[in-house]
Amino acid sequence: MPKHYRPAGKKKEGNAAKYITRSQALKQLQVNTKLFRKLCIYKGVFPREPKKKFKGNHQTYYHLKDVSFIRHDPILEDLRAKSAYRKKIIKAKAKRNKELADILKNRQPEIKLDRLVQERYPHFIDALRDLDDPLTLVHLFAALPASDRLKIEVKRVHNCRKLSHEWQAYISRTHKLRKVFISVKGVYYQAEVEGQKITWLTPHGMQQVLPDDDVVYDVLLSFLEFYETLLAFVNFKLYHSINVKYPPILDPQLEASAAELYALARYFDANSRPSEKVEATQEEESDLRLAQLQHQLPSNEPGALMQLVKDAADENEEDEDTKECKNLFKNMRFFLSREVPRESMLFVIPAFGGTVSWEGEGAPFSETDQSITHQIVDRPTQGHVYLSREYVQPQWVYDCVNTRIILPTDAYMVGRVPPPHLSPFVDNEEEGYVPDYAETIKRLKSAAKNEILPMPGMGKEDLDDPQNLLAEGYISRAEAIEAAERKQKMMTLEKQYHDELKMELDGFKYSSSVSDATKQKSGEDMETGEEPLPDVQQISTEDMSKLLMSRKKRGLYEAMKKGQERKKAHVDLLKQRKKKIEAAEKFKKN
Amino acid sequence: MRERKKSSAVEVSSVKKKKEKKTKDNNEPREQKEKEESQSIMKQQKNTTSRSKKEKQRKATEDYQSLRESELSGDEVHGTDHDVDNADDHHEEDQTDGSEGHRGVEESDSSEDEVAPRNTIGDVPLEWYKDEKHIGYDISGKKITKKERQDKLASFLANVDDSKSWRKIYDEYNDEEVELTKEEIRLVQRLLKGKAPHTDFDQYADYVDWFKYDDALHPLSNAPEPKRRFIPSKWESKKVVQYVRAIRKGLIKFDEPKEEEPKFYLLWGDDSSAAEKANHLAYIPAPKPKLPGHEESYNPSLEYIPTQEELNSYQLMYEEDRPKFIPRRFTSLRSVPAYENAVKDSFERCMDLYLCPRVRKKRVNIDPETLKPKLPSRKDLKPYPVACYLEYKGHKGAVVSISTEASGQWFASGSTDGTVRIWEVESGRCLRVLEIGEAIQYVAWNPLPELPVLAVSAGQDVLILNTGLGNEEEQRRVKDLLHVETPTAPDVLDLGLVEDHLLKNLLLALMFTLDGVFGRMASQGRLPLHVFHPTRSIFFVSTKKNIRVYDLLKQRLIKKLETGLKEVSSIAIHPAGDNLIVGSREGKLCWFDMDLSSKPYRVLKCHPKDITNVAFHRSYPLFASCSDDCTAYVFHGMVYSDLNQNPLIVPLEILRGHTSSNGRGVMDCKFHPRQPWLFTAGADSVIRLYCH
Repeated sequence: MPKHYRPAGKKKEGNAAKYITRSQALKQLQVNTKLFRKLCIYKGVFPREPKKKFKGNHQTYYHLKDVSFIRHDPILEDLRAKSAYRKKIIKAKAKRNKELADILKNRQPEIKLDRLVQERYPHFIDALRDLDDPLTLVHLFAALPASDRLKIEVKRVHNCRKLSHEWQAYISRTHKLRKVFISVKGVYYQAEVEGQKITWLTPHGMQQVLPDDDVVYDVLLSFLEFYETLLAFVNFKLYHSINVKYPPILDPQLEASAAELYALARYFDANSRPSEKVEATQEEESDLRLAQLQHQLPSNEPGALMQLVKDAADENEEDEDTKECKNLFKNMRFFLSREVPRESMLFVIPAFGGTVSWEGEGAPFSETDQSITHQIVDRPTQGHVYLSREYVQPQWVYDCVNTRIILPTDAYMVGRVPPPHLSPFVDNEEEGYVPDYAETIKRLKSAAKNEILPMPGMGKEDLDDPQNLLAEGYISRAEAIEAAERKQKMMTLEKQYHDELKMELDGFKYSSSVSDATKQKSGEDMETGEEPLPDVQQISTEDMSKLLMSRKKRGLYEAMKKGQERKKAHVDLLKQRKKKIEAAEKFKKN
Repeated sequence: MRERKKSSAVEVSSVKKKKEKKTKDNNEPREQKEKEESQSIMKQQKNTTSRSKKEKQRKATEDYQSLRESELSGDEVHGTDHDVDNADDHHEEDQTDGSEGHRGVEESDSSEDEVAPRNTIGDVPLEWYKDEKHIGYDISGKKITKKERQDKLASFLANVDDSKSWRKIYDEYNDEEVELTKEEIRLVQRLLKGKAPHTDFDQYADYVDWFKYDDALHPLSNAPEPKRRFIPSKWESKKVVQYVRAIRKGLIKFDEPKEEEPKFYLLWGDDSSAAEKANHLAYIPAPKPKLPGHEESYNPSLEYIPTQEELNSYQLMYEEDRPKFIPRRFTSLRSVPAYENAVKDSFERCMDLYLCPRVRKKRVNIDPETLKPKLPSRKDLKPYPVACYLEYKGHKGAVVSISTEASGQWFASGSTDGTVRIWEVESGRCLRVLEIGEAIQYVAWNPLPELPVLAVSAGQDVLILNTGLGNEEEQRRVKDLLHVETPTAPDVLDLGLVEDHLLKNLLLALMFTLDGVFGRMASQGRLPLHVFHPTRSIFFVSTKKNIRVYDLLKQRLIKKLETGLKEVSSIAIHPAGDNLIVGSREGKLCWFDMDLSSKPYRVLKCHPKDITNVAFHRSYPLFASCSDDCTAYVFHGMVYSDLNQNPLIVPLEILRGHTSSNGRGVMDCKFHPRQPWLFTAGADSVIRLYCH
């Protein structure tokens, strides 16, 4: 008798009754693998892990409810009808009945996925939460070349482009962009919409390669189909929320010159006027209150009051973060050179309140405009230089955005190697390693906020007046004198530090000066000196308490330790490399 | 004659045939011309083969035709279609010849007559002679031998040397090489291009309608124009009416331009309405992809870039271990290329999304140190043995067993070198060396201080030795006790007679073995481990995996303790009698609380190798285990008199110092009876004393 013998007529029990394998599911649904895949992608059904894998570890298990969820969906019938219809066309073609084939082709049933979107994301917030992957894929396809062989149609690529631009226009318009990071893989953007952090990746604007092996384009296209629908509905909702009609109608001339984003911005400007009227009706209710307010304010400034109200109305919608983002590049006018990635810049700069123009047709202002404050250039040398503006590399914009301050431009001048571009997604403290430039940025930031951090490695209590301590009888007189001396020393050090900060702000070349480096070194030495030697006793006690742990806990503990060690090893490696680089630089100088 | 023949042919053939002929006539001249061209080529080449032959044949047929025609001139009606066609062809040919004044055919004929036919073997498939040495037969029936073939190397060399080799062609039928002239090559090239061979031939000449009906007497058809050409069709109008009715009735539908429905609408209009719960499984959102770190930047800090050596070392790694992403650095944004794996990465993410099983897992985000149990400080648990204080050297073999005297002044040790030594604890002096002669297995002092007797087991024997310690009174008593008159069989020894704990211990073990109660275990070559309860008449015996607890008075099994170990190697009982520790071959130590359950109260995995012995201290709350890994662990094992409080076990110290020999480490450990000191006997023939 086999091990899992179940007598005839007895129902399955346990996991075997709840889960079925993939091949069983195919049989139940009477579909082939391709169709099943498509259904799973549309419906968002994924395999689940039963506690006991009754058919072995190598099988994929689906929950029975998931499978019946697919079975009862009308989409299954629709897809079947579609495939039957396709057969009709093939047949007509085979019989050389071109007329019929054409008619049939024109009348193809369309599959609508809006119901599935609603079903999968009953709330808007759910859709936003899952928007990372759709955005990334849509942006990728917007950059891919159309290919007949791989069934990537031109229409779809254009649709992807359109959707991505619409999304970017919304984000830019409402100043919801938070972080930007240029990586080797592309540009990462992070926006915050309705409290959800949405991160997506756009490829660099180059000719993309379509790999033939390892990639099944059917899967990608099925995903894309759903994502396109989802993103369109999300865009609709977002546009609706700011009183703009969707889908937007763009200026064809601007569209032709590949400045869709700018065209969209123009569209917004044109469309947002009626929305103000709507607001006006709402404002009437608060007129009474305003009248009361008016008494308190100087009566000769009714216009200013109106402005105030409007600002307030604007501001109460916006949180602190958005306000900060909106005003980062306020009153700054940018001009992009030819070689700068225009699409990204047209997205980022308006998102942070700047005005931007470019070289080419349809640009709002030309290069000769005197009001331009910054020109973004990515070439080894700049020929003609206007003295009224600053010439910076594109990284400057991204770094400013990530740090939320206007960084000094000297390090980013034309022809220079810019300082390292750091990821805004990393928590340096948690990682255990802080790159040099992150420190510099931190200092610049605090300087910009007019609050000066104490020197690293110096506690506040050191600054206390030693006389007070004496009075409280904490320390002896000699110690008090010593403390006073120390304090003086610290003061001078701090002054030097602040001077350096000022220098840096004023725009000295980025590089941690030699004195700084040596100071850091000495600090490190101090640390190592202070660090107590790991004595044998300590180790043995650690081992001892491990003896009393239960096996499960011990396993967990050891796994955690291993993780920590790996992290530490990574940090150590970085430190080691840095030391080597510094040593090499020193050697070069000598 | 020819003129006459033509007219007759026209009369004979039907109208349809006429049409055919007309087209044929149109095509004929061109074809003919081409043929003649090719003929002239052949002539020039002096290589006229089958072609020229055909020409000859044709001439012959032509002559024949004319003959026949002359015969048939009487009744023209009988001419078959075929004949007529043929005749027409020839007539036309002749006509063209005449019109263009081309005497090609005649010329070729004359030239052919002059030049002797080259091919003597006839129109014979060459494969008939494929394997033969001759190529055919000449007119007299003699074999024509093939030319000797050059071997490939020679022919190649010849080709290389000869600059004209490329225009040489091998003629199979004549078995000779022919060199093409420049003109011929030009011809061939034109042919290859799909053009006519001669440059002066116009391929696309204007069409000349050879059939002239302008001045013909009769039209081709004399029928009047039919009426149907002038009036509208009745059936067509009926069909139209039918269609009109069908359209009116709506039977025929037209493809109207579809009304553009708004494709997208406010899907999430009112969120509150969508709150009803779907009755399918909970949706587990896919984990978001990991956000990029500093190393993925296009311009990371220098320390993130791996050095060349590290890159080389990656090459040596297995493909799975290799880092997925190697940071790179570009000095400006314009130099960043497209990412080659963009599509692949997306595809992998998509695969994960629809193929990876998703499970909600709780992630523990705690400091690992909090997992450790809180232990009382070791300082509070002093005194306990910490460091090696004395080493007792003298044995030549591994020290197997040690035993301390009840007063704590002396201890005895037995070794595999066959000696038992008695040492003074505090000075380390070896008081006495007793030669036994056989490897010692166990030594034990009499626990009663007034009788300083030592029991030693060696080989098959148990010896009870007088140590010679103590005052005269004691010595006398010892001698009395040890005075044996007649050897008594062990099986008649009564338990009640022997009050002495030590003797009882040893003898009982013997008795049990002899009784065969544990015969099974004895047969496995393993004496059962056993201890007595210190105060009550309870006896603990270990089987391989379990401990059996017997009541000696009632003579029955009280309890069975399940250790869960693979093999029990040692056992010791707490002086209060309610707790038991068991050491095992796999290095685990079990603490049993007899009041709790038959399962161990705590299992400590401390030694990587076999535990050789475990021991309790008589007065201090200490216990120790020693193992083949050359270490001994000291634990604090506090047993509270309050029954509600579980025993407290705290590992205190790892005692090291012994060296391994023959894979054995520490063989035995014993506590000093009064002080918190520990003796350990090593396989390296050293005994160590650890003090606090």
